[in-house]
Amino acid sequence: MPIRFKKLSYIYNKDMPYAHKALDEIDLEIKEGVITAIIGETGSGKSTLVEHLNALLLPSEGSLEVLDYNIVANQKQRFLKPLRKDVGLVFQFSEYQLFEETVIKDVAFGPLNFGFTPEEALKRAAEALKKVGIREEDFNRSPLELSGGQKRRVAIAGILSCDPKIIVLDEPTAGLDPQGAREMIDLFVELNKKEGKTVIIVSHDNEMVYNYCDETIVLSHGKIMYNGPTFDLFADKEKLKEFNMLEPQIVSFRNDLCEKGFRLSRDARTLKQIAKEVAEQVKR
Amino acid sequence: MDLIEIKDVSYSYDDSKKAVDKVSFSVKQGDYVTVIGHNGSGKSTLAKMIAGLLPVKEGSITIDGLEVNEENIAKIRQRLGIVFQNPDNQFIGSTVKDDIAFGLENKRVPSKDMEGIIREYAEKVGLTPFLTYEPQNLSGGQKQRVAIAGILAMAPDIIIFDEATSMLDPKGKKEIKQLMYDLAAGDDITILSITHDIEEVLQSDRCVVLNKGKLFMYDEPEKIFAHADKLREIDLDVPFIEQVREAFGKYKIRLKSDDLKGMVEELCRSGSKS
Amino acid sequence: MNNLVFGKYIPIDSFMHRLDPRAKLIGLFLMIAAVFVPKSWWVFLVIAILLALALLLAKIGIKMIVQSFKPMIMMMIFLLVINALTIKTGDILFTLGPVEIYSDAIFNTLFVIVRLLLMISITTLLTATTNPLDLTLGIEWLLHPLEIVHFPAHEVAMMVSIALRFIPTIIEETMRIMNAQKSRGVDFENGRFSEKIAAILSLIVPLFSVAFERAYELADAMEARGYVPGAERTRYHVLKFRFTDYIFILICVLVLTFSILSRFYL
Repeated sequence: MPIRFKKLSYIYNKDMPYAHKALDEIDLEIKEGVITAIIGETGSGKSTLVEHLNALLLPSEGSLEVLDYNIVANQKQRFLKPLRKDVGLVFQFSEYQLFEETVIKDVAFGPLNFGFTPEEALKRAAEALKKVGIREEDFNRSPLELSGGQKRRVAIAGILSCDPKIIVLDEPTAGLDPQGAREMIDLFVELNKKEGKTVIIVSHDNEMVYNYCDETIVLSHGKIMYNGPTFDLFADKEKLKEFNMLEPQIVSFRNDLCEKGFRLSRDARTLKQIAKEVAEQVKR
Repeated sequence: MDLIEIKDVSYSYDDSKKAVDKVSFSVKQGDYVTVIGHNGSGKSTLAKMIAGLLPVKEGSITIDGLEVNEENIAKIRQRLGIVFQNPDNQFIGSTVKDDIAFGLENKRVPSKDMEGIIREYAEKVGLTPFLTYEPQNLSGGQKQRVAIAGILAMAPDIIIFDEATSMLDPKGKKEIKQLMYDLAAGDDITILSITHDIEEVLQSDRCVVLNKGKLFMYDEPEKIFAHADKLREIDLDVPFIEQVREAFGKYKIRLKSDDLKGMVEELCRSGSKS
Repeated sequence: MNNLVFGKYIPIDSFMHRLDPRAKLIGLFLMIAAVFVPKSWWVFLVIAILLALALLLAKIGIKMIVQSFKPMIMMMIFLLVINALTIKTGDILFTLGPVEIYSDAIFNTLFVIVRLLLMISITTLLTATTNPLDLTLGIEWLLHPLEIVHFPAHEVAMMVSIALRFIPTIIEETMRIMNAQKSRGVDFENGRFSEKIAAILSLIVPLFSVAFERAYELADAMEARGYVPGAERTRYHVLKFRFTDYIFILICVLVLTFSILSRFYL
């Protein structure tokens, strides 16, 4: 079941002189089982949007449907816990949320809150830690002893251990080195492909969005400017200009080749595939 | 003698592993030098040693002949500024102008001269309309510009950028990089920039590659990227243009241009020939 | 938190805003002394009139002053009840069931309450018209003489101004960590006592570790920009007494004198 926003608005400091409409009558559908990117300039409403997905924020107007939950403006929500178990939200610089004495205890914190038995919680924690690539000998270390990149993995494991159906990540690669960022993205792709999780990534990194995200949503001033396949967005020069987006180099390269008469299929997104198709045409 | 000379410098936080391991290189006056390597390769540690924020216990660092040690540190700090990664954690004043003033106050610039200096350097980095703003009302990119103005106001010879753009959004990144390129274009300021941004490396005069605390390469960027395979060995990124060269190399198509447009042209020509 | 008025700075321009923070601080102390000394309602009336005038000059509405009283209401009622039960002098005004209420109980309490309200108003006037940084500079200047006995007045002022600067950052951080922990199933509002403790720990521990990290980075940044604790520095903000500041202090001194004399002559 897709996620549906219906005429949803969110107003900060409602009824105050400095009220600010962060989301403006949004109608939006986010597909199930794919990787969706949410992009937009700072202050466009991306974070406000994702904080609705697990009811950290409740709509000022309108409603949204997530899984079996229906969240309507001005209604008391009774299903917060199950919703937050099913929709895992990983915040920016999530390494700063660790607080337990050991890595594994920290990762088991979520499952315990959601009502799993201590044994079950530890079992899930261990599985989640393995998934994110933390070695078993580090399970009982203090999270404070780990490197920045490892801490972030532990924080992500802390959400995965709750076994969410939807995983939302706010700038998961910010501050990591390129190799660390790539490994992080590989993890999300794997969660999506192997376990069928719906993955939603808020990001500024257009290169990453182009390479890994199936669908893209562009936000500007609290409104949806684009919602569709990532490939189509980046193929449209006019749109990129309109949204003030930098064109990833691979996109410019591909577009230049197309302009010069090379015929590239929709599959030719990666450099490897582009080279293969171009080479065939050059040699013919 | 070169402006910055680093000789056999090592550092370890605890006794187990060396964060910086016998690194030696020197930087000429006016050069723009980038430093790349993974997180944990010792880049920031080295930067902090040059700035005198960590003690040089093994080896030596000299700046314009002055050895970096406790005795000389006050003199060296007058000539060297450092822009850190986190825009929030280096904003000391309560407003933009107070923050630019902070260094001047430490340098004991007479109070009556400060206003003029603050205005001059705020103008230089494009902050004039924001002089009375408080940090919470500024974007990350603007905060980094405040940090740069604060350093320029001290009239330094050397500025170290320690991943100064890594926490910024694309707009902020672009602005700060442009400001850095402008500063590098002159001959008076020597820039040492720690970065993960391969495209920035291409703009620099020379590039230091660190791996596990050791100096892996130190050369002009073109020469470093000519050894793409060596960089791959230590899991570092290579510029997109080199990736293209490699990808087509697999099909025995040798592209010689050093920009993408040229490569597309080359492909067209070889396409029409056949 | 937003309706907390006490101690809040109102960033506008007015005669009171332009006064030197040192003059305002000295004025505060003089006026508080003037409120404490007298036994006569007449003095309160004079002070209240002057205060109203100052509020007018500060362009601060009476509403804000009234709001600043709100947190004190419970305390005042408590005071009234205690006094009514314990003070048994003067005339009996009326009886509430078995309790006889004496005139002294009412008047004494009212007197204390008015004194308290005046003090709050005076302090609110100061904080509303003085930006926190100037206030720190003023306090530093007042503490300056203590440097003879090695009291680090400048360092204390620097600490206070940095703390003020980081309050918004830390509030933002608190919100983010709370949201992150809520996403892991923490309920900050409901729950048993043991759950409450865990919830608070999950907020406090990360908050402290971030604060420490910030502190280290900030220390590096300050050091790199040539800050040496205890070393001599010049100042960008130079406080300057002007004619109006002297007049202001003079008025406050006169009020205090009047207040002291009132004990003997009124």
